[in-house]
Amino acid sequence: MKFLKKIIFFYYREYKLNLSGIQDILTNIIFFFVSIFIFIFSIGPDKETISFIGVGIIWTLLLLSSTLSLRKFYQEDFENGNLFIMHLNGFSFGFIAILKTFSHFLFVQVPFLLSIPIACILLNIANDKLFYLFASFSIGSLILSCLGSISSSMNLMNQRNFLLGSVVVMIFSVPVVIFSVGIINMEESFNSLINILFGILLIVFAINPWASGMCLKLSLENS
Amino acid sequence: MKFLVNPSKFNEMADHLFRPLLILSIMLFALGLLFSFYLSPDDYQQGSTVRIMYVHVPSAWLALLTYAIMTLYSILALAFRIPFGFIFNTAVAPIGAVFTLICIISGSLWGKPMWGTWWVWDARLTSVAILFIIYLMIIFMNLSFENRVVREKVVAIFILVGSVNLPIVKFSVDWWNTLHQPATISKLSKPSIDPTMMTPLIIMTFAFILIGIAIAILRIKTEIISRKSYLS
Repeated sequence: MKFLKKIIFFYYREYKLNLSGIQDILTNIIFFFVSIFIFIFSIGPDKETISFIGVGIIWTLLLLSSTLSLRKFYQEDFENGNLFIMHLNGFSFGFIAILKTFSHFLFVQVPFLLSIPIACILLNIANDKLFYLFASFSIGSLILSCLGSISSSMNLMNQRNFLLGSVVVMIFSVPVVIFSVGIINMEESFNSLINILFGILLIVFAINPWASGMCLKLSLENS
Repeated sequence: MKFLVNPSKFNEMADHLFRPLLILSIMLFALGLLFSFYLSPDDYQQGSTVRIMYVHVPSAWLALLTYAIMTLYSILALAFRIPFGFIFNTAVAPIGAVFTLICIISGSLWGKPMWGTWWVWDARLTSVAILFIIYLMIIFMNLSFENRVVREKVVAIFILVGSVNLPIVKFSVDWWNTLHQPATISKLSKPSIDPTMMTPLIIMTFAFILIGIAIAILRIKTEIISRKSYLS
């Protein structure tokens, strides 16, 4: 019971922190929409072309804009010592990684999920594809959160090269993008592709606590 | 076999091995190039361009082999606390990157006359490109951390996570319907390649392996010396 209370307090704290820094999340979403505008201006406002490549554009930009906020995944807590206090309070490093991953999913990826319908209107995507887009992105964004946890914990001690973390996420998200765009474009093989996505999610979910926990431990020991 | 995990034993062994390996590999290269240019037949479909295979295939094998050995050493280093694994990872990553680059460039040169384009977004080619980027990331990670202890362990973890890509590269030709031809030599049944083409390929493979080991010995020795000077 005490442990559950700690978890609830953890999420309450995350909620408070994200509420006070809500302009960061909103800036992410604005980045997403501004890049959609740029894409449309650079391709030309032809409706058929846009609806043909729209799904790919949405997925690329979701990936790019969710990697933008990776910097504050662990960095603030690491620098002001909160990570160490959480560990002293009985959370193992792997468990902190799991909690943080879900918090990143809730407070960074879910706003993107809510902004997908507006993007669909802008990009002239048919309404019946919206369900597939939601299904693929709700699984894909969890995978992206796990990958983000791994890469940002790797780069905690990296003071020189800030872009490295984003590139790590983008390399490993190549299969995610392939299969989730495949879901939307090939609706008849929906079941098999979504099973593959679930499989990737399970693999990443199993690796995440081990890899991020180990990196967090290393960085805290040597900072 | 202690010289595989112990730096001082490795130094002793390397002093004995380096020169013979270099000479042997140069001889094998001369023999292999002779075989591949003059003593092997043209392909009935591909003509003379088939000779690119004698560089392309060994470098691709070695790119994969280097990553596999790096993965093994990462496991050794992280699980059994053998620091030689970290030295090995730091030293060998650029060699693997160069082999992958040779494989990509020679494949691209082979693809232009045969497929009509320099590059296709096909499963095998894409996964090899990702392998190359992973190698580059390992090198950049090695350069961008200031704390050595954190750096080498983080790089080892990254190598382990990135090794997911290895089976994808190997089996991509079987899993997806690709333009790249499936495995003809390294499959379980009898290889479907003619012996006259097999001979130069094997000679070139051994030449590549030996030159790879020779360069790796040089780089590992350099790494050991730089660590010693860093500690003292």
